[in-house]
Amino acid sequence: MKRKILLIYIAKNAILFFAILLILDWSIGAILRKFYFTQESGFLYRTTYALEKTDADILVFGSSRANHHYSPSVFENRFNESFYNAGRDGNFMFYHYAILQGVLKRYTPKKIILDFISDEFKVDQSNYDRLSALLPYYKTHPEIRPVVELKGPYERLKLLSDIYPFNSSLLSIAVGNAEFNKRRMGDVKGYIISNDIWANPQLTEQHQSPYELDTNKIKVFESFIRDCLSHNIELSVVTSPYYRKFDTTNYSIRVGKDIAARYKVSFFDFSTDTFFVSHPELFADANHLNNNGATIFGNRVADSMMISRRHVSKMGTGP
Amino acid sequence: MLFNSIHFAIFFVVVTTLYFVLAHKYRWLLLLSASCYFYMAFVPVYILILGFTIVVDYFAGIYLENSSGKQRKIYLIASLIANIGVLAFFKYYNFLNDNLSVLLNGLGYQNSIPRLSILLPIGLSFHTFQAMSYTIEVYRGRQPAERNFGIYALYVMFYPQLVAGPIERPQNLLHQFYEKHPFDYERIVSGLRQMLWGLFKKIVIADRLAIYVNTVYNNAEHHNGNTLVVATIFFAFQIYCDFSGYSDIAIGAARVMGFKLMTNFNRPYFSRNISEFWKRWHISLSTWFKDYLYISLGGNRVSIPRWYFNLFFVFLVSGLWHGANWTFLIWGGLNGLYLVFALMTQHFRKGVDKVLGLTNLPGLNRLLEISTTFILACFAWIFFRANSVHDAFYIIRKMFTSRGPVYFQEPSMIIYALFGIVFLICVEWRQEFSPHRVSLLNNPHWLVRNLACAMLIVLILLIGVFDGGQFIYFQF
Repeated sequence: MKRKILLIYIAKNAILFFAILLILDWSIGAILRKFYFTQESGFLYRTTYALEKTDADILVFGSSRANHHYSPSVFENRFNESFYNAGRDGNFMFYHYAILQGVLKRYTPKKIILDFISDEFKVDQSNYDRLSALLPYYKTHPEIRPVVELKGPYERLKLLSDIYPFNSSLLSIAVGNAEFNKRRMGDVKGYIISNDIWANPQLTEQHQSPYELDTNKIKVFESFIRDCLSHNIELSVVTSPYYRKFDTTNYSIRVGKDIAARYKVSFFDFSTDTFFVSHPELFADANHLNNNGATIFGNRVADSMMISRRHVSKMGTGP
Repeated sequence: MLFNSIHFAIFFVVVTTLYFVLAHKYRWLLLLSASCYFYMAFVPVYILILGFTIVVDYFAGIYLENSSGKQRKIYLIASLIANIGVLAFFKYYNFLNDNLSVLLNGLGYQNSIPRLSILLPIGLSFHTFQAMSYTIEVYRGRQPAERNFGIYALYVMFYPQLVAGPIERPQNLLHQFYEKHPFDYERIVSGLRQMLWGLFKKIVIADRLAIYVNTVYNNAEHHNGNTLVVATIFFAFQIYCDFSGYSDIAIGAARVMGFKLMTNFNRPYFSRNISEFWKRWHISLSTWFKDYLYISLGGNRVSIPRWYFNLFFVFLVSGLWHGANWTFLIWGGLNGLYLVFALMTQHFRKGVDKVLGLTNLPGLNRLLEISTTFILACFAWIFFRANSVHDAFYIIRKMFTSRGPVYFQEPSMIIYALFGIVFLICVEWRQEFSPHRVSLLNNPHWLVRNLACAMLIVLILLIGVFDGGQFIYFQF
């Protein structure tokens, strides 16, 4: 009898506690979700736009380097096609592939530029952690789920919470809904303009030796290529300039070039282009071009894409 | 298996449920198996090292009890050599070898002893010290030797405190494995609440601060003095929340199953002097050094210079315990110097307080003392956190010479960090200055109590850091 009373007491308390927790989780999660998708500026908004709204002919995928290096005006003028820059700070191959899945579910772009960074295939746990950028879309975009689940074995369990997808985004969501943010963090079709000129440019030398490659990243890169080819999208893989001296071609870039060549996809490597290294005034910092640099670079990429189209036999070579 | 992982959450639920389902006589076996699994989840092969010290100390305990005179001392020394030998090899071999190389190079010789690629077994210093406390206590006749090998192994391996303490004493823990721990709802809930608070400190405060601290300390040359000061203050809170958070989870997890582990932290940043700080910080280690090293050296029952030496030496060893690096040694030595200096100037400082009239203003006096102690602790933390001694001195120099705006990559970085610190100070302020006021987590009204717990979980989900949150003290 005593035991039965205790069990009822425990069950009652447990139910009450979990009811409170569920109500809080559900209601706060719903509020966060609502305001997440009403943002009109900022990097969270740009992900939503890329995944759910853009119908541009030319799409750019990549990290912050893509964000800063591909100016819409250059590509729109050169190709006379609409353009959107879907790059996002600190996100790499997994993110690009997930966004591509969302895009292909809605429409087929004509051209895709994939900005390929040095050490793209290097084993790095933080690349998986960064997949948290896609958590808000997990429930509504089943096509990105396999990529998000690469984040960890318990991700599906964590995603039972309605708050968790918006972890650490509270302030970004608030700012993304604020009017001043549009003026502060203005972007032009996803392109972030930087007019800074690097004050003290320091040319560092990067020595390369082979390292452990992340097979997941390689598989995803190949899937990215295959999906573009199967949709007849003109894919160009580009490594944009660094203000760094590579003693040899970066290991990941080398592997990336080999894979691209296997699929007969253009790979334009500007990492060893001496023009940019001799013009530090075109950089905002060691990894990012400023607007002037991006304009010159964009035109060079457009040139390479046009030449490549005319001379298909030259695919897989540098600029 | 980290305490802040889903893996551990599943493990904990399964083990605790089985613990209460099983009959008392089988529980130790369950806990021992669970502890083996827990330890092997890190690097499986290192359980052999743990097994070696357990076997040595188990037999040492029995031989110690069965022998007398000189033989007892021999058994004790043999056990200590085995324990310290393992610790020395895995933790200090490369450090000693590197320093020997520097010394020999300076004298124009080459060191031919090879450097080894050794991975430090998780929590080695913790379970080695716990095992050593057993043999010392048996030697001192204050603890009977444990005859049940499984129970002794469990004493060393009890999973909640296996990898980062609290470092238990046999008198406190061993007998608890024989006691029946009935299902006690209130005790279980209070243990779970302590685990939740520990998790909050770890995920919301420590891991958030770590992002800023790591960014600044790993690139000190790119940051000005103001930023380095902020990063150092953040590190003080980071390491406190990281380690005390771990201890809270450990103590809470043990309490759920009916075990009472010793308190490891008692709001150390409210200490009025360094001596008090060390009575509130990592209490299980401080008392270990006091019981087994400081008192063995003569404690304070010696001449004054020797007393000062004893204090300084104990802190130096404590520094070395934390890691095989000169930074830890300096950190320990600095704390030793603080303590000796505080003792030497005790009367002078009291005089100054009187002259300044601070004795008539106890509130202000306390605030000044707490602030001074915090600043001294922070200064020592620079050495603890810096990647090298050179870095530490570079950071200190820059703190006094380089000015500029405080770095923050994005405002949210600082806002979340400050929220965590303010939250912690509010909670601990109430505990320190109004200990009789009931906390929200223990409020008599069920709705307030449950809401407070649920809000902590919501905050963890909302602003906790879920990626890459390794516990700092695991490396020791």
